[in-house]
Order: sequence, then structure tokens, then C-alpha cells
Amino acid sequence: MAGLIIPSGPTVFSPTALPRLEQAFSAGTNEIARLVAALQNQPSPASLRSEPRLAPDEQPLETRLFDALAAAKILTAQVAMHLDGEWRTKLFAQLDSLHDAEEWEAGDEPIDPLSFQTFLKAFLAIKPARRPGLGLSYTGNLIAAWTTGRDRLTIEFLPNDRVHWVLAVYPDEGEPDRFAGQVDVSRLVQGLAPHNPEHWFLDASDNQPAR
Amino acid sequence: MRFAASLDSTDLDKVSSAFKSFYPREELLKGVQFHLNIPQGIDATPPDHHTISQIGYRRSSPDLTHILLLLPPMLVISQLAPYPGWNEFFGRFRRDWAVWKKSVGYRKIVRTGVRYINRIDIPSSDHVLYEEQFLNVYPHIPEVLGPMTQYAVQAQLPMLDIGCNLTLNSSVVLSPLLGHRSFVIDQDIAKDNPPQSDEDIYNLLNVIRIRKNRVFEACITDRARELFEPWQA
Repeated sequence: MAGLIIPSGPTVFSPTALPRLEQAFSAGTNEIARLVAALQNQPSPASLRSEPRLAPDEQPLETRLFDALAAAKILTAQVAMHLDGEWRTKLFAQLDSLHDAEEWEAGDEPIDPLSFQTFLKAFLAIKPARRPGLGLSYTGNLIAAWTTGRDRLTIEFLPNDRVHWVLAVYPDEGEPDRFAGQVDVSRLVQGLAPHNPEHWFLDASDNQPAR
Repeated sequence: MRFAASLDSTDLDKVSSAFKSFYPREELLKGVQFHLNIPQGIDATPPDHHTISQIGYRRSSPDLTHILLLLPPMLVISQLAPYPGWNEFFGRFRRDWAVWKKSVGYRKIVRTGVRYINRIDIPSSDHVLYEEQFLNVYPHIPEVLGPMTQYAVQAQLPMLDIGCNLTLNSSVVLSPLLGHRSFVIDQDIAKDNPPQSDEDIYNLLNVIRIRKNRVFEACITDRARELFEPWQA
């Protein structure tokens, strides 16, 4: 059994990143290389997309919002088999609401697909029973917030698998205790563990006080 | 479905409009052509003359799980996850095929095919994962070479009893899930010079569907089957 090495970080398999050596090979060898390359998975016809000809900031607002939402929904489809159908429907409603063109603030950025990818990874790792409120940073990062009583947990999902979290816990008396961290999404669960995240993630009936 | 003769732009516009109620979102698909004319012996940057022309439409449902591709020689109907099952998808095909024919009339079909792309997400915290525990299609690598980091294999097989060809891909893909490794089993089952009547087309698609299930079951192990459990919130 040869097996597959599990990488510790993200990897990209790109045969086209190999050195271009056509000039060093004979025509016959290049033909063999072409036939081998043809064995790679071709994209599904349905995955064809129209590529924008204009830079994002030159496109009409509706187009930018549509493209951002489309990217988020297609990313969700990639993990839909791991999601509850109702959860997915409500998530789409939240995303649609966040990208309402009539209420859009000039200068804001629609959702960044890389931020949304991080969000999906985090959610499928945490699987919170309680849905968070969602918002967007002005740079297009998705922000999720849970509130239990006065206690609040906010997570900003950054591109490239990074997450930034801030939480505030109110003791019986005095000022709130505040904690923050920024970690790789694969370590979010461990990062939140000392603060009893179930306080926010579980339904009220199962709730535990925060630490 | 691929057709012997391409639709012209007028027909494409017409058929795209006919699908508006089923697939409200419309995107134009465009092709770019570059014309470079470089005389021999001239060492200069060639001028960039390109033309952009519309080659078709991509229409989709609001949640982007139903996709319709209208290209001059081709009609593609696609379902992204979550998958509602064959009956619903087949019903959508029948509906869309009727709309397409009503809009542009009969065209000779030269290829009918169905492609199924299944990703299998395998949770793993180990340094090495053994693909043969989950798949029955993978490359055979001598033990002495040690574990791989990536692979992609393809096999093409005739399905003589149903007159189709199977193109089977197995590969490693980047997993969208933390702590997982993902494989793809990608089947393309197609028939050249396929039947032309509606009933025969429907029969062919149902035969392909049954065969697809058999192929997929043959390509995975019981351990992989155990993984197909959705999350219930």
C-alpha cells in the first residue's frame, strides 16, 4: 500500500505549474505529453462561467453583487451534502439580504469568496446548533456574531483560512472580560475551547455559562 | 446533448428567452479570438487584435443549483448539490427538452451523455491515508516509492451492451472541509449517434443512470459508503 500523504497546509495540484519544456523535446515527445495532459479531468460544461471583462470596481453594482453571491452559493454547493437543507436555505436568505442592492453602501465590498470558504470550513467543523447573525466588513469579510444575554462572540472569517475572534463575557458584577485571538481556521475550535463556546453555539436549553 | 448543426445567434437568443421562467438568472458566455500576424525575422511585440463574441448563455436558478448551458452545438442541463434525486432531475430534463424543441425545432443529435462527478470526503488525522481502503480505482505505485501527494488516473471503457463509452476519472482534489482528504470519482457515459425520438432518448438516459450507479458502487468500498451521512442540525 503506497498511500497518500496528508499535507499540513493547503496544497494546489497544478500540472501546468511544471516547467514548460516543449522547446527541449521532440515533436513526438510533446505529442505524448499532450496526450497525458488530456487525461486530466476536464471541467464540467456546466462549470463554464462568463469571465468579467472589466475590473471589479468598473462593473455595475448589480453585477458585482450577483457575481459575489453566485460564488458563495456555488461554494456552498460543494459542501451541500454535509449541510442541513433548512440551514442552507436560511444562509442563502441571509446572504441575499446582506447584498440587497437598494441598501448597499457605496464603497463597501461584497462578500469575498475566500472569506466565505473560511466560513464554511469553520461551520462544518463547529456545527453550531444556534444560527449566528451575519454581517460583512467593509472589505468583504463575513462576520458571524452570537449573543447570549449580554455575552457576545464575534468571528471574522478572513481569506486564506484565517479567523479573528473577539468575545465579551459579563460577570455578575463589574466590567466585562474581553478576549480575542487570530488563528488558522483549523485551530479555531481549540482557540475558543477555554471560553466555553457552547455558551453561544448550543440551544438555550443546553446552555452553559461562559468562562 | 450535442447536435449536428449549430444554432445561430437568433435561435440562441430565442431559446434562452424561452427558459427565463425556469432559470431566471442569465449570464452571457463569451469567446475571445486573438489574431496574431508576425512576419518571420521581425523581433517586435505583436499587436493585440482580439475580438470578443458571444458563444452562448448560462442560465441558473436563484440558488444556482439548477444550471442550463445553451451553446450553439450543445444543450447541457446540470444539477449542483444538494441533489434531489433522479426522478426530479429527469423530470427537469423532460421539461427542458420540450422547451428547447418547441423553441428551435428538431435538430439531429450526434451525442447524448451524462456526467456524474462525485466527491468523497474522508476524515483523516493521520499523516498518510490509504486510498485503497476507500476506492477501487487508483494508481498502483510500487511500495518502495512511498506515499503519493497527488494522483489522477483515467480509464476509457466501452459499454458494448448499451452502445455507450465510459470515461472514468479518479483523482485527489483539494478538500473544502477541515481535516479531510477528498477524492473524485468522475464518470462520463455517452453514446455517439444516439436515438432521436423522445421515448428512446428517455430510455437511454434511464439505462445510463442504472449503469452509472453500478459503476459508482464498483468504484468505492464499504468503508467509503459509511461516510455518506448528512449533517442533521
